[in-house]
Amino acid sequence: MTHSMISEDPRLLVHAYFDGELDPANALAVEKRMAADPALAAEAERVEALQRLLRERLPREAPPLGLRGRIEASVAMRRPRAQPSWRALAASIAVTAMLASGSTWVALAPERADTAGNGVVAAHIRSLMAPQPIDVASSDRHTIKPWFNGRIPEAPRVIDLANEDFPLVGGRLDVIGQTPVPTLVYRYRQHLISLMAVPASYRANSAPALRTVGGYNMLRWTDEGVFYWAISDIGTADLDKFVQLFRTSSPDQ
Amino acid sequence: MTIASIQTDRAASAKKERSGDHLRIISNQTPRQDDHKDMMGGEDDNARFANVVLPHLGDAYALARWITGNRADAEDVVQDACLRAFRAIRSFANGSARAWVLTIVRNTAYTWISKNRPAALVVVDDLEAVETAQAIPGDPNAATSETALIAQADAARLTAAISALPIPFRETLILRDVQGLDYREIAEVTGVPIGTVMSRLARGRSRLIATIGSKEP
Repeated sequence: MTHSMISEDPRLLVHAYFDGELDPANALAVEKRMAADPALAAEAERVEALQRLLRERLPREAPPLGLRGRIEASVAMRRPRAQPSWRALAASIAVTAMLASGSTWVALAPERADTAGNGVVAAHIRSLMAPQPIDVASSDRHTIKPWFNGRIPEAPRVIDLANEDFPLVGGRLDVIGQTPVPTLVYRYRQHLISLMAVPASYRANSAPALRTVGGYNMLRWTDEGVFYWAISDIGTADLDKFVQLFRTSSPDQ
Repeated sequence: MTIASIQTDRAASAKKERSGDHLRIISNQTPRQDDHKDMMGGEDDNARFANVVLPHLGDAYALARWITGNRADAEDVVQDACLRAFRAIRSFANGSARAWVLTIVRNTAYTWISKNRPAALVVVDDLEAVETAQAIPGDPNAATSETALIAQADAARLTAAISALPIPFRETLILRDVQGLDYREIAEVTGVPIGTVMSRLARGRSRLIATIGSKEP
């Protein structure tokens, strides 16, 4: 089985789309395929319905009362080993699993399936190397929004977070794959944060998920039918804080 | 940072800590002092355990519950996994504490199952081969009624359908759709390539959809 397996089975990409694992260019490409192919659209509808069901109706069972206490008690009596045992254990099980799965998927490079982020990171790095990381310099959302409106069909949501230590410094258009992507640029102390926003036709929200690519921290999430990617070299806690502020602030503040 | 480099970091830091132990032993010659030092070290390890492992007890229990299928076994697995985690706590350096804890829980659960219920460990290789051959998208005309049936499924039916999935499909689905891990973390926890995570997830979901999207109860 070769790398082409994944691209030959577009259903896997539909699942990856709903799991927020695709970068903007691939997400848009999958949307186009779903719009053109009724079978894929049907798969999308089923996956979305199932995810909603799991989210809303699957009972979440809390650990039994007393489990935590029993664990703390049993741990208090022992000392850790100097030699780590879990990695050897995990490695041996991983090897067994790979052997057991034979040739089926082992040949797949993770990079092929793991498309998320690379384009986003490349755009962020490119902007840091350019003389100006922004195309339009302004902290005023009434300047930035019209600038986007003249260039792409839908301007992103623009919020200034200067009062929260994340001043808006401007905006730019990145091209990821072949898609123009509006990007807002914020500053945090001496660091820049790129925030990309791509409209999605599916409106399922997803919570921010962290990924680290090439030393940059990246959070991606979906709100009200827009994919967001926030990327920066600041720490995860600060980036988390930024994303939380962006999601909870309203433009009119 | 790639997974490989994270692991290298962990290994490097584990090494550092080991050489630290060595120095400590040399500088504490008498048994009495050794005991004292060990107790101090033990307190640090307990604090570390409380910070790294205990916050994820809920996820740990939920995963064990879904893999073993019942409460009592899940409790045993989580207790055992926590002891393993505690013994190895000095080797946890950075990365996702949750993924680290879930990896240990998952491996402990597999050890438990292979001891107590070896028949449950289906070789999914065969399943995957069969279903790859049959990877035909469903009938688009049937989709609307199927979606309506999915939306109507109640908790009991959903729980039963998930419990009936072969373990590799079940754990992948739980890690993604219930616990919210991304593909890379699931690959790390379950020890398979991302491509396998994707195919298991799609097949697990397809089976669930087929079960709860059909009219038979």
